[in-house]
Amino acid sequence: MPGDGRFLTFGLFLVFILITLGITIWARANTRNADDFYAGGRAFSGPQNGLALAGDYMSAASFLGIAGIIALSGYDGFLYSIGFLVAWLLTLLLVELMRNAGRFTMADVLSYRARRQPRVRTAAAVSTVTVSVFYLLAQMVGAGALVSLLLGIHPGQSFLGLSAGAAKVLTIIIVGLMMVFYVTYGGMKGTTWVQIIKAVLLMAGTLVLTVLVLARFGFNLSDMLGAAAKASGRAADFLQPGLKYGREIEGDPLRTLINKLDFISLAVALVLGTAGLPHIVSRFFTVPDARAARTSVNWAIGLVGVFYLMTLALGFGATAVVGQAAIAAQDPAGNTAALQLAYTLGEFAGGPIGGDILLAFVGAVAFATILAVVSGLVLASSTSLAHDYFGHVLMFGRPRESQEVAVARFSAFLVGALAVVLAVVARNLNVAFLVALAFAMAASANLPAIVLSLFWKRFNSTGVVAGIYGGLSGSLLLMALSPVVSGKVDPDTGASLSLLPAGIDFHLFPLENPGLVSIPFGFLCAVAGTLLSREQADQERYDELSVRALTGTGSHRAARRAGKRPSGR
Amino acid sequence: MVEDPRTPTVPGEFTALAHDHRFHLLKARFRRLATTLVAAFLGWYFLYIALSAFARDFMARPAFGHINMALLLGVLQFVSTFVLAWRYTRYARRMLDPLSAQLRDEAQRRQAEREHIEQVMAERRRIENWTRG
Repeated sequence: MPGDGRFLTFGLFLVFILITLGITIWARANTRNADDFYAGGRAFSGPQNGLALAGDYMSAASFLGIAGIIALSGYDGFLYSIGFLVAWLLTLLLVELMRNAGRFTMADVLSYRARRQPRVRTAAAVSTVTVSVFYLLAQMVGAGALVSLLLGIHPGQSFLGLSAGAAKVLTIIIVGLMMVFYVTYGGMKGTTWVQIIKAVLLMAGTLVLTVLVLARFGFNLSDMLGAAAKASGRAADFLQPGLKYGREIEGDPLRTLINKLDFISLAVALVLGTAGLPHIVSRFFTVPDARAARTSVNWAIGLVGVFYLMTLALGFGATAVVGQAAIAAQDPAGNTAALQLAYTLGEFAGGPIGGDILLAFVGAVAFATILAVVSGLVLASSTSLAHDYFGHVLMFGRPRESQEVAVARFSAFLVGALAVVLAVVARNLNVAFLVALAFAMAASANLPAIVLSLFWKRFNSTGVVAGIYGGLSGSLLLMALSPVVSGKVDPDTGASLSLLPAGIDFHLFPLENPGLVSIPFGFLCAVAGTLLSREQADQERYDELSVRALTGTGSHRAARRAGKRPSGR
Repeated sequence: MVEDPRTPTVPGEFTALAHDHRFHLLKARFRRLATTLVAAFLGWYFLYIALSAFARDFMARPAFGHINMALLLGVLQFVSTFVLAWRYTRYARRMLDPLSAQLRDEAQRRQAEREHIEQVMAERRRIENWTRG
């Protein structure tokens, strides 16, 4: 990638940071109580929250990652786009019930009818923090790599006196400081506005690239696909499933079957994970009522759908316009495909300066994307630690509100510090699999607990706790024993494709994504836990929960006047 | 104080609503809607996934130009998601929202009445104590 645009990139980063800092400081002045800090005062409109949901959801992994997978492996990257979108229908079904039944967190819904409050709350907090930290780690390691690429620092080179390695560490630390600042200072109000700005920027950036790349082919999608297939050197195969996922290995039916099961496992995790992601769930509570929550999910479906359709143009466009050799030379995983596409398209339009400008813009969008997603994750974790663990376990549900919010701010700092340390340690590892893992964990641990709490009469505390810990530990254990951690070796070079170096091999589980096994296991644990315990379900509370969830009677609403307590029960 | 979601409510308030025949209707409608939606979108999604994994020749068939069945079905997943979300919302607006609004309003009115009666009773007790004293 070219040289002097990086000062422009750097400048645009700074502009974004300054604007969002301003908003955060404004939000701080308008954050008075727990409703403000955790739920933005429940005052966001449906469309606003829809933009923020989309902003929370469309991570850099999907923007840069999917474009990269499509650019290098063709059609298979599109699977992610489809799974990530279709998953929202499940969210649409659950959003109103959860909005009506809960207050700030998933645990509010899970513990509503549970007899053993503290255990359920603790389990929910453990799961929330685990899922969020894994997701966070993937984003932050990605941020380090992205920024050193954007600033054009290669090993051996330097920018403003920084080497590539130092730039990575510095970026991770700066991203960590920023996200902790957004959350501790701006709470849900500040974070939501950061998400909204980011969503608008990301949609605009993707739209510009899509229009420009399609214009190169006279707005004929078929021609662009043809050019991409030709440029890839794999002809029509490039436009079909099977180059990356579910690969058919000649003469090895077992391997072929495993590959296909792995593909299905990933697909299951993607479609079932979204509704259990803590940073998505905590966004359900930022609107005044269930109808606004439904509207916001509909907006999110529209935005996310249009965005993921455009990834198709970005990915195939990058292959056709930039070429695979150039993309793989920058980053073997293809994460820079969208950025290189931006430079090339800008160059066509306005020479090297045009290239620099468009690259700087898209780079800043990617940076904004990372910052917004990580703050959403930190906010969800700190909310759960403060509200669920501190408020309801340590303080038996009777903390002072100001005390709880102070703990939330402190937790944000702790979670942020943990994520920074982990990301610096893992900065040179390929941790892209963590995103799919986070989805698998959310689907295995959180989804069974949510669905059964809402719909199964007999479900009890033991079931919730067993389901969450079972699903969580099941997916973590399967991942540790999977080829992503050890034992996957490049057949040609003998180099390790796993997290651990070649030579260490304890992979007992053949699939790279645990979802296919761990999600049914999570449900099984939840059901078995319920049936094997002698605890009786609280019938009256179940009736209450269903009335409340379906009608919105007694749900937590936005306070009309300043200082008035929300009209909850 | 942060509100505890387990603070006891007036006993029977929710139980009465839970046994209201209109609530049963609402519940039945929601369950039918949810089952239909989940069956439709998960069935269609997994059909698509199964075709991608096991019916590669079918997916490779060209539909028009360079656009093959795989791409066509993939884009159709987007279309179906939009359509299902729209249909779900329309059904919910027509068949669920009026019913739940009715039940909620009644519950809130009862709550208000109860609070009013409590206020009156408290006032009466105050006066009685005062006259007795």
